Order: sequence, then C-alpha cells, then structure tokens
Amino acid sequence: MKLTRTWLQNYVDISSLTNEELADHLTMRGLEVDSLTPMYEDLAPLRTGLVLSAVRHPAADKLTLCQVQVGDQQLAIVCGAPNVREGLRVVVALPGTLLPGNVKISRSKIRGVESFGMICSEREIGLGNDHDGIMELPEHIAHGQPFIEAMALSDLGIEVDLTPNRSDCLSVIGIARELAAVVDRPLTLPIEGQRIDRMSENFSVAIDAADLCPRYCGRLVRGIRVGPSPWWLRRRLLSVGLRPINNIVDITNFVMLEYGQPLHAFDFTTLAGSAIIVRRPRPEERLFTTLDRAERHLDPDTLLICDRDKPVALAGVMGGLNSEVTEKTVDVLVESACFNPVSIRRTARRLNLSSDASYRFERGVDPQGTVNALNRAVALITEIAGGTAADEGVDCFPGLRPPPTITLNIDRCNRLLGITLPPQSIAALLASIGIPSQPGPKAGESDQLLITPPSFRVDIEREADLIEEVARLYGYNRIPITLPRVGMSYPEEDPDRRKRLDIAGRLTAIGFHEAINYSFIADKHAAMLDLPESDPRRSPLALLNPLSEEQAVLRTTLLPGLLDNVRRNLSYQQTAIRLFELGKVFFPTEPGKQPVEKHRLSGVLAGNRHGEAAPLHFPYQEVDLLDGKGAVEYLIGEMHLATVDRLPPTTDGISFHPLDESSAEPFAEPFLSLELRCAGKRLGTTGQMRTEVLRRFGIKHQVIYFDLDFDALCTLAQMSRSFTSLPVFPAVQRDIALLLPEEVQAGELTAAVRNSADPLIERCEIFDVFQGGKIPRGQKSVALTLTYRSAKKTLTEKNVEKSHKKIVELLTGSFGGSIRHE
Amino acid sequence: MEQQLLQLAVSAREELDRCTTQASLEEFRIEYLGRKGRFSTIMRGLGAVAAADRPRIGQAANQVKAEVEALFVTRKEQLAESGNTRRHGLDFSLPGRKPVSGRLHPVSQVMQETCAIFASLGFAVAEGPDVEVDYYNFEALNIPPHHPARDMHDTFYFSESLLLRTHTSPMQARIMESRQPPLRVIAPGKVYRCDSDITHTPMFHQVEGFLVEKEVSFADLKGVLTIFTEKMFGKDLPLRFRPSFFPFTEPSAEVDIACVICQGSGCRVCKKSGWLEILGSGMIDPEVFRMVGYDPQVYSGFAFGLGIERIAMLKYGIDDIRLFYENDQRFLTQF
Repeated sequence: MKLTRTWLQNYVDISSLTNEELADHLTMRGLEVDSLTPMYEDLAPLRTGLVLSAVRHPAADKLTLCQVQVGDQQLAIVCGAPNVREGLRVVVALPGTLLPGNVKISRSKIRGVESFGMICSEREIGLGNDHDGIMELPEHIAHGQPFIEAMALSDLGIEVDLTPNRSDCLSVIGIARELAAVVDRPLTLPIEGQRIDRMSENFSVAIDAADLCPRYCGRLVRGIRVGPSPWWLRRRLLSVGLRPINNIVDITNFVMLEYGQPLHAFDFTTLAGSAIIVRRPRPEERLFTTLDRAERHLDPDTLLICDRDKPVALAGVMGGLNSEVTEKTVDVLVESACFNPVSIRRTARRLNLSSDASYRFERGVDPQGTVNALNRAVALITEIAGGTAADEGVDCFPGLRPPPTITLNIDRCNRLLGITLPPQSIAALLASIGIPSQPGPKAGESDQLLITPPSFRVDIEREADLIEEVARLYGYNRIPITLPRVGMSYPEEDPDRRKRLDIAGRLTAIGFHEAINYSFIADKHAAMLDLPESDPRRSPLALLNPLSEEQAVLRTTLLPGLLDNVRRNLSYQQTAIRLFELGKVFFPTEPGKQPVEKHRLSGVLAGNRHGEAAPLHFPYQEVDLLDGKGAVEYLIGEMHLATVDRLPPTTDGISFHPLDESSAEPFAEPFLSLELRCAGKRLGTTGQMRTEVLRRFGIKHQVIYFDLDFDALCTLAQMSRSFTSLPVFPAVQRDIALLLPEEVQAGELTAAVRNSADPLIERCEIFDVFQGGKIPRGQKSVALTLTYRSAKKTLTEKNVEKSHKKIVELLTGSFGGSIRHE
Repeated sequence: MEQQLLQLAVSAREELDRCTTQASLEEFRIEYLGRKGRFSTIMRGLGAVAAADRPRIGQAANQVKAEVEALFVTRKEQLAESGNTRRHGLDFSLPGRKPVSGRLHPVSQVMQETCAIFASLGFAVAEGPDVEVDYYNFEALNIPPHHPARDMHDTFYFSESLLLRTHTSPMQARIMESRQPPLRVIAPGKVYRCDSDITHTPMFHQVEGFLVEKEVSFADLKGVLTIFTEKMFGKDLPLRFRPSFFPFTEPSAEVDIACVICQGSGCRVCKKSGWLEILGSGMIDPEVFRMVGYDPQVYSGFAFGLGIERIAMLKYGIDDIRLFYENDQRFLTQF
C-alpha cells in the first residue's frame, strides 16, 4: 500500500510526528513501513515563470519565441508546445538544470535563435505522462518561485507492507485511523454514515448470486463532461504510482485508495434495459473482453455484472470494454459493491488478472462502507465533471450478515499474553481504534467484555483476534519477558539424524568440505550420466512450475550437483577438490502421493591428494581410485560396521568387489570402480568417472567419486564396542616376498591367510607391490608382513616357524608363486 | 701429568670462548673430548703413573673432564640462545606438516548451533518430508484454499495437492497429531519457494520450533526467543518484537535485532531502519489446536520459524545468498 504524508494529513493531524516517528509507529503497530521516500526532490531547481510574450519562430512554424519572466530575470526561451501563450504560468528549467532521466538543460541555439532554458511538460519533469503540451500552472502562482514550493509538491512517499489480514488498511483512511490512535487526535472523514433511502426508478439491480455478492449499491450521474482531472487529483494518483486516465476513472480510483472500497463506473447508455444483474455466466457465455482489450475465458463460477442482455464487467476484477467510460460518455452508473473474497480470488488467479480492486475484494472490504464510498465518488464527480445526481440510488444487500458479538474473557487474555490489565484498560485500548466494547457477565472469577467489531475490521471474528489487538495496541515490547514453566523431560533425537551429523563431521576430518546443493536438478542430468531408461534414477518427480530447465525435477542422485561444484571449483583454479554431500534423493511412488525420500552420501575427489597441504612435504599427487576406496573404508570404520577382511572371518560383513562393463555404474570406468556390498546387496559404488561423462558436465579433469546408500548403511548392525583385553605376550613379525603371476590380486593373498584360520596369526598386511625392474615379465612381487601372537605365551621362533611355513606353502601353492630371494 | 691436566683446562676455556658457531664447537668437542682427543691422550698416560698416585690423579682427571664438559654445554647453550635458531639444523619458519582437513557447510554450522541452543532448553529434534501434501503445508495451518495468505508462499507444485514444503511449519501439525502435550520440539529442514535473486534462493533452510503446555504465554515466547538471539548474536544486541500476521499463530510477531552491519544507525542491508528481521513467531492459533484435536481452552503454546541462511548471512556478513549453493571451496573454507 502506497500513500503520502500530506494525504494522511487530510484525515488526521499528524504534524506532531517526525517522518521517522511516523514510520516507527506504523511498523510497531503491525503496519510495516517498507520505505520512506522524500518526493519530488529532483525537481528542486525548477522555477515558476510567466510567459510575457509568445511569437512565432521566424524559421519554424511549430516553434514559438517566448519572453518568460522568472523573478527579476527575463529570459528568451524557444518552445515547441502548441499551448504556449501570453499570460500562461509555466514551469521553467534554467540552463544548468538536471531534469529527471539525467537530461541537462543548457543554453542553446534553436534554428538560429538563442534559447535560455526550457518550458517543461509534465512528462519532462517526471510528474505524469502528458506530453501534448507544457504544464499549465494555476493563475495565482507567482513567477520566480521554486516550483515544488509554489505547488506545495513537497511530500513523503510511504510504502506499507501490509499483512493479508489488515484489509482495512488498504486505504489511506484505514492507516489514518491507526495514526489517530497514536497521536490521540480525531479522525476526520469527508463523508460517513451515508445511506441510500430512496430507490432509483431510472435503473434496476438484481442479484442472482447472493452467495457471491452480499451487497450491491449504485447511483446514476447524468450530464457529465469526461476530461482530464484537476491537478490535485492527478497529483494524488501520480504520487502513489497510478496513471491518471480521465476525471471519472480517476475519481473511482481516488475513492478506492481513500476508503478502500473499489468502485466501477459504467457508461450508462451502454447498459441494455438500464439494468444491472449480478449473476454467473449463461452456458453460451464463454468469452468476455475486458477493459484492457484482452479476451477472457469465463468458467461457470466466474461472477459477472451484466445488463439485461450481456456481461458488462468481471465482478470485482475488471470492467468490460463494452461499457467503458469514454470521452463521449454523458451518463455514468457508479457501482460500489461487496463480493465474495474466494470467488474473486479464484477468478483473478484463473485469469492471471490481479487488479487493485480484486486485491482488495480478495482480502475483504467493509460491507457497511459501500454507500460512503459511493456518495463520496458521486459528490466528486458532480463537483469535477459536472452533471447532476439525484440523491436516489439502489442498495441491494441480500447476503449481508449482522456483525458478530464476541466475548473477550479478560483473564484468558491476560494469561495468554502474560500481562495483568484491568478490563477498563483493555476497553480503552480497543476504543482507540474504533472497537467499542461493553462489560459482559462474569465468567467465574473473570471479567468479560462484549464486543461487536466495527464493520471495517473484517478480520476480527474470534476472541483470539481481539487478544491480538490488545497485544498490538498495548505494545509487544511492553509485555514482560518470562520463561515457560514446563516439566523436565529428555529431548529425544532421531538416531539417524545423529549419525548424519556425526559422519559429516568425520568426513571433514579427512579433508572433505561439505557441499549443499539444490534438491532439484535438470531432467537431462540423468541421461548425461548415461543412466539407461530402465534405471529408476531416470524417472524423477517433475515440478509443474519449475524456475528453469536446470531445476525442473527432484534429484534422484547427488552426483550432478557435485559435478557442477567440481566444474566451478576447477574454473576457479582450485587444485585439490574434495567435496561430499549427505542429502535426500527422491523417488516417485504413485501419482499424487508423496515420494520416497532417501538419504545418500556422495563425494567427489579431483586434483591433488594432499589438498592444500604444504607442497614442500607433500608433493602433488593425483587422486586415484584407492583414495575413493580409502574414504569409504574410513566411513565404514567410523560407523563401526563389520567388514569381511577383519579377522576372524564374518559371514555378512561389508566387502568390495571390482566392477566390469556390465556391472559398473554407466558413468564410471569399468575395472576402475568398486562395489560396496553386504549380504549380496549393493550399498554403493566408488570409482573413477568416465571422461566422456565428465566432459558433458564441463570437466576436463579426472574425478574420483563415491556414492553410498546412507540409509542402508544406517540399518546395518554396528559392531559391538566391547573391550578386548590387551595382549600380554609379545608378537613376532615375519615378512614374505612372493613372486606371483601378475593377475593374482593382492587381496586374494590376505583372504587366503585370513581363511587359513591359524589362531596364531594376528594380522596380515601388504607392504609392497612391485612390477618391472628385475621382476620377470608377467609376474609381480607382493610383500606381506605377518604378525603372530599367542594369548598364552611368548612365541618362540620354533612356534612361529611351523605356522609361517604353512602359510608360505599355502600362498606359493595356491597362487603359483615362489618366494623371492634378494 | 697433573700439570698437563691443568693446562688442558686453561686452554679449553680459552678455546671455548673463541667458538662462535655450532661447527667450531663441534671441532672443539672432537679436539678435546673426542675418543682420540687431547683429554683421552693424557689419560692414556695414566698407566705410567705410580700406583699410589693413581687414585688421586684419576680423581683430578675426572674433575677436569667434568669441568670442561660443563663449560662446553654452557657455551653450546649460550650459542643457541644468541639467536642461532638452527640448533637442530631445522628451519622453523618452514610450514608444518598439516594434515588435510575440510569444513562443514556454513548452513550446517549455523543449523547445528541453532539446534544446540534449543536442545539445551529441552527441545527435541524431529524432521519431516520435503515433499508435502497441501493439507499439512497449508490447511492444517489454518490456510484454506484461496486464502490470500497463500500469496506469502510462492509454492512449487507436483500436482494440485502435492508440493515442496514452503516452510517447516507442517511439522507442527504432524507432531501434534501424533503426540500429546507437553511438547517442546524443533524441526530443522530444507524449504522451497519459487523465487530467485540476490536475497532469495529457491531452496533454503528453516528451523521450526514450538512448545505446547497449559498456561504458556506470549511473555514466555519472548523469553525463549530472547535466549536464542542472545546465544546466537550476543547479549548486548537490542531486540524487538513487532506485530505481524501468520494464519497459524495469533498474536503473531516478527523478531528484529539491531542491524549487525550498521549497529542500528541505518544502512542498505537494514533498509535504513536500523533493524533486521530474523524470525517469525506467535501464539499457536486455536484453530490449529482444534484441527489436531487439542482443546484450546486447556492448552496454549507458541511457535516460531527462523531462516538459517538469513542468520548465517548476518552472522558472517555474507551479501549474496546464492553463494551458499555454489559450493565454491574458497567460500566453504572461510567458516
């Protein structure tokens, strides 16, 4: 809602308030002031002038040479406006003036004649759209004065960000009412308490849809002259950003802003049968052309204002082109009505046609305010546009409901707010904004007030609404600060949430930064990852109204977001990228039903393994698959999950399995990716992304990823964390270096050792893998360290020798290798 | 021999005084105290000394050796202290071997901090679905279809009744439906609005909180939220409660803190008002209680919702909300 300070001043004397106090009071009463804008400041250099003489330019028919008196200066100015004439009072921009839009006025020669400034039109100084001629100032304006002072233009623009409940403040008077309570001064209204007592016989009104139109009032004004509005009226509309059109339309807009009641004026001669019928469309009425010349589709619930034969307006939204007030209009019928908010909102939404009128009707207008606004408008029309209006009219109110009487329990009000106000104080607070009350019967110990809210407060329907008014008027900041008295209880927390926070923290400990990406991705992203049509990740839940193609569907994988992050970081010359995201992915179920929301944990690594660590100590090393695997192994350990390579063997621990063309993720390099598996189920994968896929995401660098089903990891049983006695006896370590065919996997050796089930073997670790050099082609050297320990005694060489020999035989025998001797 | 020992002590003292580097000290050590050094050479002559004199001379020799060694150590320490930092041959100005480490996203950090403050006040944490049904996002919160308050939410839809939640408030209805008071719950999570510019992203994070019990007042709401802002922004920051409107609370209040950028004197961020809005709150509307089957005559409660990005932006002075979702490591490492 936009208004100005001088406009407010018309209804209540607020001269005791500074601009800042004014804004602060409104804001603290729930009418949040969004901005205060000093108006017309850029017009300060303009001066008023008097045209002394005006003669035709010797070299141009359309130009006039003027002598203009501006104070004690007499200036020669060349003017191109048709309406310039001797004796006219005008707005002058002297040389050196900067006009709105950064136009600088300077001394110039126009067709050989010198011109010392410019006589301005309304548009040139940003006051309006009129550019047909120069602005004509009233006769009483003296020349040589600052323009904004002479015209009393100086004002303060106020923009209030209204909440949807305060429809009463969608009017200057509504806001003035709040301020009247602040400054404790009377509210002066141009017109109030109006009624229509005599029914007009010149036109008829029938309401065939009382559920959608509780009240309809109208009056007829005959013999008007449509033309431009006077300056004061145009100025008011311009000051709040409304374009003046003609005196009739401007008056209806002005009264709407003043009283909050939308009005509409019909050209009376266009109304067939001199009738107004408020009804739903007939089956054949499918299209209707509104004032803006757009053809609108009607649906069976679109409320229409019609004459005897045809629709003439979309009720409460916009008038029709067929009944528009034009320059030729002589008789106007002015409408002031109340419409059902839901009906208006539906129509405005459906047609995507929101108007100042529909905005107010949607939020509710004062059902008792229709006649006041109507009579105000009619009075202004006869004053400004001439014409005569009989004091008769029509007032139909088939759906008008009596206002409710609400009981306010003083004790409940005080307890809910945490204050202790006596009933008289509460009554006084409410009375300050025009809410009368009277004492009611006691309820137990508590006093009560009986309140019939004024009709303009359509939002007050219940006791809770009144309690809010009391709090607001008393002042939120005067209410004390206390703490709730609640019994002690233990705040339960979702254990899976706990795990997510924990794991996120642990990943940062190994160098990963946490990423958060939007839950939406582009539909094409799944295809860019080469996921086949049959993959459920190719069937996301699609938004009906996405902001862009890039954010059109809910993500089924976290990878597109992370890959975009990699691209961005690489483009910013980051040499080490390590990001993870732990977030939801979404899979549709039945149409219209909520999707399944699953948590996934994915990560990407690119560039230097050692991150930003000092290159002095950690020379650049490109990350590879084993970095991804290592991160996953670390996670499994931190989540205390069982893996198969722990001794003794477990049957359903987690294990890694290499993936080939048929089993690898389509976006990962086969043979350079691994599956994380438990009890035959895939928990996730890690590997190297395919170059071609990366290129589609704009990445020219190798990327290692991991992508895990976090919910599944959370369902796995955690290993019990029970204490194992620390070994008492020393361990014996033996190294073995084996020459093996190169296809033997090092992990097979450790698995074989593990499966040998020798109780003395505590640990078996690979400490070197080597190919080339002195190693024959087709073979490789794998070196293992075996740790032997007994819980019962210190092992002797002999004890170990027996076990060790068996292991060496097992390894060389099973894998076709031999002991390597240096 | 005694004479030789005494001379050795004298020349060692002089020599030590001349040593000014660790290297010359080492030369000294080899020359005097080494296995083939001057002291050892003298001591090898001990065998030739009369047996009766040996204990006395041996004792004297040990005394001299201890004395020289002590002088040597003192000199070495003096040298080390006199500004020669390369005592161990190490340049301490070199960077340490710092292990790699990452950071939690600033949204996560502020979210955890927020949740921890309320958890300390006994609030339980619960999460709900991102994809909500119209009923919980709107109707159960007293926002029927065609209510103008729906204009306050630019909603992403999947179908007429399925949408991305526009706030975390649906958790109020979901939890109240399934549990009985007293309740003290916060619900953190992602929320969505179709809006995108320098101050809006289509996804952001909120924490909803509510407390339901007999005899809960607006004054209590002020108490709990004052604790929160004090813990989050510091004790001395002015705070104000301002009337507002939410369909599911009445009275409703916005909470403003004095602008942390300009300290209340007025700047672009606070639109010259000196105040910054940080959360919305209010007393739970009786209609919301009625819909979940609580008796509004018996129970009262308050609810609040706060935007995590907004708090993070104010706390860290971040001027563009879109930075949160670019995951630029240069941004992420700042917090």
